[in-house]
Formats: sequence, structure tokens, C-alpha cells
Amino acid sequence: MAFGRNKILAVLAVVAGAVMLSAATANAATSAKAVEIRGEVIDTWCYFSGVMGGEDAVVGTAHHTCALWCAAGGIPVGVLTEDGDVYMVLKIEGEDPLAQSDAVMEIQSDVITAKGLHYVRDGVNYLVVEEVVANDGITNTNHLDYGPVPPNSFPKPKN
Amino acid sequence: MKTRTRQAIGLVLGASALAFASASLAEDFSSGSQAKEFGLTEETKAMFSGKVVDIACELTGDCVDACGNGNRNLGIIRDADNKLVMVLKNAQFAFNGPAYDLVAFCNKEVDVDGLMVGDPEYYNTQFYMVQFIREKGAAQWTKANRWTAGWKARNPDVAEGKGPWYRRDLRVQKQIDADGYFGLGEKVDAEYRNSLQ
Repeated sequence: MAFGRNKILAVLAVVAGAVMLSAATANAATSAKAVEIRGEVIDTWCYFSGVMGGEDAVVGTAHHTCALWCAAGGIPVGVLTEDGDVYMVLKIEGEDPLAQSDAVMEIQSDVITAKGLHYVRDGVNYLVVEEVVANDGITNTNHLDYGPVPPNSFPKPKN
Repeated sequence: MKTRTRQAIGLVLGASALAFASASLAEDFSSGSQAKEFGLTEETKAMFSGKVVDIACELTGDCVDACGNGNRNLGIIRDADNKLVMVLKNAQFAFNGPAYDLVAFCNKEVDVDGLMVGDPEYYNTQFYMVQFIREKGAAQWTKANRWTAGWKARNPDVAEGKGPWYRRDLRVQKQIDADGYFGLGEKVDAEYRNSLQ
């Protein structure tokens, strides 16, 4: 037999190893890709969990004060693009996102254009923001539709 | 092809199928979970073991001491499937993140209990709310509610006072003072306020 049983077994072992290695590394990190993205800076917990309603209600002016609370509270901040992709922010212009500074607070609910490095791991988009190259401010005036979300994020009028 | 060779092929294919099946089966981590349910988007209970990591360090190689001491987003690399699970929330009910609960276990193996949330079909992933945590194999669970204590330590001037922390937080108040509750200034706030009367 020109291709003996031992060789077949060796090939099969290599194939099996490759298959298992592929399965084991399917979730491994990918290399960084330089990107420029435009999107709204959002509170990711309220957006993904639905704890305060649908996705349209937990962005923009309606959710601005809650977004401040969540950013100050250490909820990870994300950038929501027009395509509906969310990039979880790992750094902002060299600063850690949960550092007790004003940088992350000042851009809550703003539509920004950011240059940075994009990583993907296990279905999650991560972004190291190297530079915010444009800030269009808050463009989504959805408080006209939803009011403040949650309602207690706006003070009750005094009679 | 000889019988032993066919058996070997069968064994290899079976092992490969088992590897993929195991990865698939590992998606359900609800067994034994004592997590409280809230009816969140596609919520499922999830109790699992894994290693607490600084996500920026894990992905970019930019590593700092003690996983950033609460300044960085942390995750858990799950033992069962090597997935990096991003943690968005702890067990408290006042807009609190998980960093202070996780950072005590930086680069350590832990058991966690909580909820996976989010629409996996649309976003191709889910995120985690950690409710309980312990060093892997330890007898006692700790409730993941350390955020407020961490905030008080960082904000001694307003640590005690009337109302919840977020009504006293100086960074929050600075932004509201500058741009109002809707972020577009006092005029927009006043228009809404007037519409209620």
C-alpha cells in the first residue's frame, strides 16, 4: 500500500488537531483595525438590557440625564452608529473610560466622529478612541416623543 | 479501506463533532443559578467560572496595575468556552457598573452568578449582569454591590447627603448645570417644563 495505514492515521490526527484548534481559537482576539466611525455616545446597559424601554427611548435627549448617571456610575459607554452597530469604548483619547474625569461625561448623547482602533472579540465590537475628530452635539431630540426616560430624570415642576 | 482505518476515521469525526457540540451546549449556564430575574431583553440566568480580565489589556496589550483600579472596563474569560464575557452591570439598582466588584479579583479565577442579557440574534452576543461573585471554589458568595462604597471613597465631599449618589455626584451636576437635563440647555428644559403645566 503506497499510502499506508499509519500515514492515514497521521493525516487524520493532524486534521483532528486542526479542527479542535480551530474550535478552541474561534473566539480568540483579532488584530486591530484602524477605523473612523460616527455615532451617538450611549449608555450600553439601558440600551442592551431594555430595562427602561425600547432602544429608541434610551438614547438622545430623552435619556441624556440617565446616560450621565450611568457614565458616572461606571456603566460602560458605547458608540451607536447609524447602522445599529455598537462599539464598546475601551479608552478615550488616552484616558481610561471609568476614570473620574469630565471627558466621558461631556460627550454623553453627543454624535461624535472618532478615529481609533477597532477590535472584535466574541461578537463584541471594541473601540480605542484615539481622537474625537468631530462632535455634532446632541442631535436626537426624542424627549419630544418619550419625555424624560426614566421619568425621574427630569425634576417635577413646582406648582 | 481496512476496518481499523474506518474506525479511526469514525473516531476522529466523532471527536470533532463532540468538540463542536460541546461548544454549542456550553451556551446554557443556567443550571444551579440563584440569580434574580428582571424580565430584561432575552434574559437568561448564567452561573459560570472564569478569569477576571482588564479588557483593554486583553485585547490591546495595554496593561496597567490592578486592572486599572476601577478605571477600566472588565470582563470574564469563561472557562467553559474561552469566551470573553463583557460585564455591564452589578447587582445594585442605582445605575452602578461592575468594576469595583470585579477589580478585587483582577486576573483571578472566579465563580459568578447573574444574568446574560441582550438580543443575541441581532447583536451576535450578550452581556452580563453580575449579581454574586466568589473566588473559584470558595464556599461563600459575595453580593456584587460594591460600587456605592467605591464611589463614596472617591467622592468624600459628597459621600453623605440627601438622596441617592447620582443626585449628589459632582460630575453629573456639572453637566446638568451646563447643558440642562436634556443636554440642550435651559431653554429646552423650560419648554418641556412648561408643557407639563
